[in-house]
Amino acid sequence: MRLLADIVLMPLIAFITGLFLVLMYRRVRAKIERRVGPPFFQPVYDIVKLFAKKTQISHGVMHDLSIVLLLGGYITAEIFLPVPGFKGLAEEGDLLTLIYIMMVPMLGLALGVGSCANPNGSIGISRALTAMLAYDVPLAVAIIGATMTYGTTNLVEIVRIQQEGGMATWGIATMPLLAIGGYLAVHGMFGKEPFEIYIAPAEIATGPMVEMSGKYMGALFIMQCFQLYTIGVLYVTLFLGGGENWPLFLIKVAAVVFISVAVTNVYGRYRTDKVVRWMWKWPTGIALLGLALVMAK
Amino acid sequence: MSELDFLFAFAAVLIAGVMCCGRDGRAGWAAMAVYGAMLVAVMAAAGKVAGGSIPSALGFSVLGHKIGWRMDGLGWFFSMLTAGAAFFASWYAAGEWGRAQPGMKTQHLLLALNVAAMLLLVNAGDLLSLFIGWELVSWAAFAMMAQKGGPAQPAAMRYMIYALAGAMAVLAGIMIVHAVTGSFAYKDFAAAFGAMSSGMKWLLAGLFAAGFGVKMALMPFHLWQAAAYSETPGASSAFLNAVSARMGLFALILVLVKVMGLSALAGLHVPLIGLSAKGLLMWIAAFTMVIPTFIALMQTDARMLLTWHGIGQGGYMLLGVLVGTGLGTAGGLLHVFNYATYQMALFLAVTAVIHRTGTSDLDRLGGLITRMPWTYVTLLMGIIGLAGLPPMNGFVSKWMIYRSLLDSGSAFLLIFAFVGTLGTILSVYKLIHNIFLGRLRPQHEGVREAPWSMVAPMLALGGIGFVTGWFPGLALNLTDIAQAAMGAPELPHGLGGVATARGSLNMIWVVSILLVAIGFGAIVFYFLGNRRYEVNQLNNYAGGHFLSPQVPYQFSHEFYPGLARVIGPWYRGSIVRAEQGIGTLLDVSGDLWRGIYHLAWTPLYLLAATVIALGWAIMGGM
Repeated sequence: MRLLADIVLMPLIAFITGLFLVLMYRRVRAKIERRVGPPFFQPVYDIVKLFAKKTQISHGVMHDLSIVLLLGGYITAEIFLPVPGFKGLAEEGDLLTLIYIMMVPMLGLALGVGSCANPNGSIGISRALTAMLAYDVPLAVAIIGATMTYGTTNLVEIVRIQQEGGMATWGIATMPLLAIGGYLAVHGMFGKEPFEIYIAPAEIATGPMVEMSGKYMGALFIMQCFQLYTIGVLYVTLFLGGGENWPLFLIKVAAVVFISVAVTNVYGRYRTDKVVRWMWKWPTGIALLGLALVMAK
Repeated sequence: MSELDFLFAFAAVLIAGVMCCGRDGRAGWAAMAVYGAMLVAVMAAAGKVAGGSIPSALGFSVLGHKIGWRMDGLGWFFSMLTAGAAFFASWYAAGEWGRAQPGMKTQHLLLALNVAAMLLLVNAGDLLSLFIGWELVSWAAFAMMAQKGGPAQPAAMRYMIYALAGAMAVLAGIMIVHAVTGSFAYKDFAAAFGAMSSGMKWLLAGLFAAGFGVKMALMPFHLWQAAAYSETPGASSAFLNAVSARMGLFALILVLVKVMGLSALAGLHVPLIGLSAKGLLMWIAAFTMVIPTFIALMQTDARMLLTWHGIGQGGYMLLGVLVGTGLGTAGGLLHVFNYATYQMALFLAVTAVIHRTGTSDLDRLGGLITRMPWTYVTLLMGIIGLAGLPPMNGFVSKWMIYRSLLDSGSAFLLIFAFVGTLGTILSVYKLIHNIFLGRLRPQHEGVREAPWSMVAPMLALGGIGFVTGWFPGLALNLTDIAQAAMGAPELPHGLGGVATARGSLNMIWVVSILLVAIGFGAIVFYFLGNRRYEVNQLNNYAGGHFLSPQVPYQFSHEFYPGLARVIGPWYRGSIVRAEQGIGTLLDVSGDLWRGIYHLAWTPLYLLAATVIALGWAIMGGM
């Protein structure tokens, strides 16, 4: 019964928190650009509007299924990601499982975009996967270093270790270099400037989104909510001590997203190869140094 | 007669049967039935090998040594894979595909010969029968590769040179063992190995690792495999890819892990760099995971891409086995099983595409999803397995290998494993995109789905991959038997996976939740919101570019240009150049030897006279 409640509530909480994160993202961006910014319920309005739109163009079965896979993948990820008061199924899978479940929506999206037969979409996916290869290398190093430090891949355990030891045992205190490298990778994962190579509206007409109309776009919007939340929570779990209680936890998650949002506006867009070079040079270098320190201990 | 004798008898009957009536249209179905019977016989022997081993009446005596065959758990595991792969390959070839092939009788015969040779190899009872099996497998595989002729022939020749060189190394190793112990038995070798000097241990480990490593295309002996396997006709190629390359792994496990022992290898230290022989092999496996994977990423032919991945996947298996813990060994062996299922499915799917369109060139296909949906489904299941993502079985074995690397503290090896997987994801997306997604080419408008005789085995393999991903315990029960025979620590597991103190995996939950969540996603998508309209594939938004339905454009050539700009210069082909260098050296030395036979004396006299005259002139001038 408890498990059933977890399975229903965890994705729901993730979605609602994700809506707030999207709102925050848009408001912060507006402030930086000296605009007023959207009203409080704008993310909800947007989803309702997109789902209700008259133009809903499907490019075949795989296009539809990709949306289903994308939502399903993120919902699954939420159930394996422990948050304060909810364990879900986090002990039936672990950090490694979660990382690979998070690739399922990516693959679903890639298949759907590919089946739309729009070269702009295909180029977008090509760039998105290249970016993934770029930022996942430092992320992998950071994750490996973190699991080496905690001695476990069980996410519930990782949170417990940091909670019991207090701030001195938080990942960011015990392995600062890995936390920095990991954060740079996370910024790449959010897909904002300077790493938004696969959206690139002026070059490839928003890439993967080029054929997404109506509720297809709406589903991508929902995905963005899940994505901001999942990545934020993952980072908090690994390096910021997890959540003692919900208010503190939400502040931490929002902080992770906020820092990324706050800096993104000052950048232009890197070229694809620049992204790969940069990611493999700085975040990976810093994270490898951190890993070497962890291994030396 | 024991179960093993039955297996050998089946193989012999099949060879004889194919030789006499292989031209008959029903030969393929009959062969499939025999392989099916073999598979049943192997499975029936599971209980017996779990406790001990099954002897065979087959054997002979040479120089007072009794040479024989017997099946233990390890041999059983690989026999099962061999029979299973042959079953699916012959099922696939039994229908329309086989009828369309020239020389199908030869192909049936070569498959039967390969199966017989592999059974003889994996059930070898001592070092000499192991060598006999090894040579038979090499020659049978050579015949299978060379059968088609054309571009396949040089590739097969290249393979043969590597295989013979490897066999010589193995033979030298066996002779040294015989000289030291006076016996060919594994147990005498194992008993004597501990007492040998470390130089001798290095020599033997090196000879066997290099010799067997050639067959599993371990770096730097990896050059032959991709070309040789991908030029072989479809069903045979799927068989070669799925299990034949794994014979090298089998022999490595048998000699290096089971007989020599991982702890002995860990005790052999490399001077200066602080690695043991085991560590060195693990790093070789790590490089075999990464470099061939990124070579695969750059391929433009679907079959080449898959075989290069096959080489890379071999690295994962070896790495898992070399970790040596219960989890690692089980992960490595499970990966052998999983790889056989998805790689075979992938190869058969690509063969179906070739059957219908005539090409596997990734730059000349596209948009086939609407024409060949079931082939697409198979390929999709296969690539998810190959990339190691949930819910397919490839994820489970890779997870076990990652987890065991973490447990043993090998963080840097794990980075290699991760990077290999990331490269695989990029590469398999390119594979499925360039064949099935994107724009359908005008010349492929009339393409139909492959016939059911081809689709059914493909889907069955994909189904096995899915079911053993959902309930990995089923496949882990099989690896348990091999693991016990290897003397590796056993791995406690349930139907859903593994529970360890430092992180667990229960695939029953993972896959079930994924399915439920996908169902929920379907409700959100299909039942909420406005109605969808399906439009023509080419009716899409060009964003102001030249694109229109009249100007088809498939983005497929150089699929990852940004990445290629970064890593492109790293493909320097240094090993290819080294291989060419050895070839050139052989050419030159051959010329020198020929020169001795056909020496032209006249110019030599002239040269000598000139030198003497010059010398005299110079000396006289002084």
